[in-house]
Amino acid sequence: MTARVHHADRVFARLLLPAVALGALTLGMSAAEAAGTLNVLTWCDHEDPALLHPFETANDVKVNFKDIDSTAAALAVLKQSKPGDWDVLVIDQTDTGRLSKLGVLEPLAAKDYPFASIPATIADPKLTSVDGTLYTVPEKFGYNTVAYNKSMVDPAAMTDINAPWDPKYKGRVAVYDYYVPEIEYAAIALGKDPATLGDGDLAAVKDKLVALKQNAAMVGDVTTVQQALATGAVDMLVGGGEWVTAGLSKDQPNLDYMIPHQGGVRWQQGLGVFATSKEKPLAVKFIQYILSPDGQAKLATSSCYWGMPANSQASLTPAQKTILRWDDQAKFVKASHPYLQMTPEFDKKLQALWASVLQSK
Amino acid sequence: MGVGTAEQVIASSIVTASPAARAALRVRLAGLLYVTPAVLWVLVFFFAPVLIMAGYSFLPLDANGELGSVGTGDYRAFFAQGAYLGALWNSIVTTAIVVACSSLLAYPFAYGIARLVAPRFQRIALAAAILPFWTSYVVRSYAWLLALSPTGVINYTLRSLRLIDHPLILAYNPHATELGFIHFFIMLNTLTIYANLVQINPRYALAAQDLGASKWWGFLTVTLPLSVPGIAVGAFLTIVLCIGDYVTPQILGGFRELLLPQLIMMQIQRQLDLPMASAMSLILTVVVAMAYLAMQRWLKMARL
Amino acid sequence: MMSGFTRNCGSAIAYGYMALCYAFIFLPVAVLVLFSFQGGDLPVPPFNGPSLRWYAAAFADSRLVDGFGNSLVVALLSSALSVVTGFLAAYGMARHEFPGKPALQAVIILPLAVSYLLVGMGLLVAASASGFRPGLWIVVIGHVVINMPLAFAICHAQLGEHQRKIELAARDLGASTIRVLLTITVPIIAPALIAAFCLCFTLSWDEFIIAFLNTRFDVTLPVVIWSLLRGGLNPVTNAAGSFIFLFSVVLIVAVEALLLRKRRS
Repeated sequence: MTARVHHADRVFARLLLPAVALGALTLGMSAAEAAGTLNVLTWCDHEDPALLHPFETANDVKVNFKDIDSTAAALAVLKQSKPGDWDVLVIDQTDTGRLSKLGVLEPLAAKDYPFASIPATIADPKLTSVDGTLYTVPEKFGYNTVAYNKSMVDPAAMTDINAPWDPKYKGRVAVYDYYVPEIEYAAIALGKDPATLGDGDLAAVKDKLVALKQNAAMVGDVTTVQQALATGAVDMLVGGGEWVTAGLSKDQPNLDYMIPHQGGVRWQQGLGVFATSKEKPLAVKFIQYILSPDGQAKLATSSCYWGMPANSQASLTPAQKTILRWDDQAKFVKASHPYLQMTPEFDKKLQALWASVLQSK
Repeated sequence: MGVGTAEQVIASSIVTASPAARAALRVRLAGLLYVTPAVLWVLVFFFAPVLIMAGYSFLPLDANGELGSVGTGDYRAFFAQGAYLGALWNSIVTTAIVVACSSLLAYPFAYGIARLVAPRFQRIALAAAILPFWTSYVVRSYAWLLALSPTGVINYTLRSLRLIDHPLILAYNPHATELGFIHFFIMLNTLTIYANLVQINPRYALAAQDLGASKWWGFLTVTLPLSVPGIAVGAFLTIVLCIGDYVTPQILGGFRELLLPQLIMMQIQRQLDLPMASAMSLILTVVVAMAYLAMQRWLKMARL
Repeated sequence: MMSGFTRNCGSAIAYGYMALCYAFIFLPVAVLVLFSFQGGDLPVPPFNGPSLRWYAAAFADSRLVDGFGNSLVVALLSSALSVVTGFLAAYGMARHEFPGKPALQAVIILPLAVSYLLVGMGLLVAASASGFRPGLWIVVIGHVVINMPLAFAICHAQLGEHQRKIELAARDLGASTIRVLLTITVPIIAPALIAAFCLCFTLSWDEFIIAFLNTRFDVTLPVVIWSLLRGGLNPVTNAAGSFIFLFSVVLIVAVEALLLRKRRS
């Protein structure tokens, strides 16, 4: 018996002690490794190794990133961090003003970036600057309108923004879980101009969205709605656009999107540098890389979601350009409203509105 | 008995001072020494954080999103808002359904493994029954999504068999969440119920039969009551793990009816409202504590 | 004759029920593993494979590989700490009398009865209140909080009167307390320690919410997979999930074969 006992004992000691040693060592090492890194707070489309690797090898740094899915989420992360923890931020560009007022963003020099090849509507100072000072650089845009399955619904019917509310499609609709575009879309459907949305409109918008949820099969984040549309669980997605359909176009050629004649919503991401960053030159280099033709092409076709590159020099293939509907962009941009520019108080109201919509039966 | 021992120890350490008593005291102190690391760990890394959290829950945010003055505002908001109470209610109902279904389904399964399978194959039968436990927890819900989707395996099979024309909508509703939960907790309950059943001597039930009871009556009056502790442990673990879970409803539920953990995560990730999230987490914990008190009688009988 | 027939019928139903249970339990795993070998871009029928391209993609993904390493470190470290502190506490409880014992035992056991969300939230709030950065260290701490009570309970159940006599005999022969602990007690309950270690390891390996709330860019595997899920329908997720499953099963079978089988023979 003792022999067996000792055997087990030895095996155990062999497992346990190295485990502690190895663990302590590795955690210690990862803490020491922190020099030479760039910390990026980003949506899921900047995380592909194919996008980051060239920058990492060229500058001999490691790019760390943390996933966010709204400006609110970014602020939540910042709140738990210390000044200097973060270098680069990817945000909805309408929040540029709000964040710069919080003192979060570092002023940028326009000459560092290829503004010459960014269309004027995209480079709109209202989205990038405050009082003539540049804070964020546009990098990618697209639409939150309606994406649908051509083989299941008639595209002609989709040109009316109210189609997803039609009882005919009950249980065949998915809603993207992001309060800003959904609230704006409902406002457009109500015949309101999103730019002038105020407290007085919120009750009507809420009722409109509750009605939409009642007609819908589900509400979900990027993956869930993408999966639902791709697998046929639903036939249309409110808030959808090229970011849902383009990446799947090879397997699911039936998926398409359009901007209804009443209009749609345009999202636009920008890159900014944190005022407290300790790696500002490197952060600027990172933005330059993302804005380069090669970086733009990889970002536009990211595995998480596709979108139009801000830089028209992006080295995309003709096939990729077709999928992104490159030639329709001037028309699409004109027909769409950018995201709302909100005060923090109004933002809170909209979030509360969306929370009560999600919670409604 | 425990309290008596403690009193005796204290009394004896005060009254006596003989060398023998001092030696005994040393043994007692040594006992405390062994226990100290574990107790300190739990106090410092569990009790203290939860206390800080409880403190936060009484500091509702002001209009600027900063910690405000002391008050019960967040609790009052929770119980005043239909949406929040609704989420709590959804969580309780879902958990109750999951506990009932997984115990009921797991019991005959565990009984079959314990009584029908030949002893030397029982370990393998049990191991097989809990094997999918080792798929990653996040991946399991995703796998159910693949199985339930309109082009997924279930619909594909039903369509190939020409049982249905149009795919059934199976995922993205509260039932899909329940299904995902039940799948996991059947495994857990099978394990706890089996562990209990093998401790019950089958001869007890046979003895009852010898005394004239029918097979069913023997089961109902002898085996089933004896296996209550196993059922209770499984049910309680199910409550603890199910009511606090965020992943399964988030992936499978389609946001049709939010559960409380989803609302808590929304407070953290979107609203930046840690005090509200703290208040909600504590309310959730109180619900679990009430479940514990209700089940305490049977849980104490079980040897974990 | 009649009763034989009903008995056969009864067992047919019972075996049928068990088969159904197994089918239900294995359905998602089967779907997961099957479509990890998918040749196309979507992990749904029809199946056109088998292909290993998604496994290649998973192993080439530095996020998954880093997450795997982080998870391994966190699980090993937190399980080792859980087993050591849990065992010491169990030994103290089983072998010594001291004031406040039942209360201290309740303190150690309590984290078993709360949801992981509370543990994770508590650490998140406490860390942000005291200015500590999120990181894997906090995850290790949290995993010890949830696993140490289990290790304690397993060890405590195994420390019976029988071993106490052997320990006393050794002490009578002049062995020091530490020596008795290391050369008598630990070897005798080694199977319980190993079982506790394996259980803690699997629970830590798979834990999501504490790790999700308390990390930033050094994340564990479940958190990496969670963000992969957010990236859309992807057979890479199937490949990663299937690989974790096979890895865990091989580990469990190896431990069982190496340690416990030997002990029974």
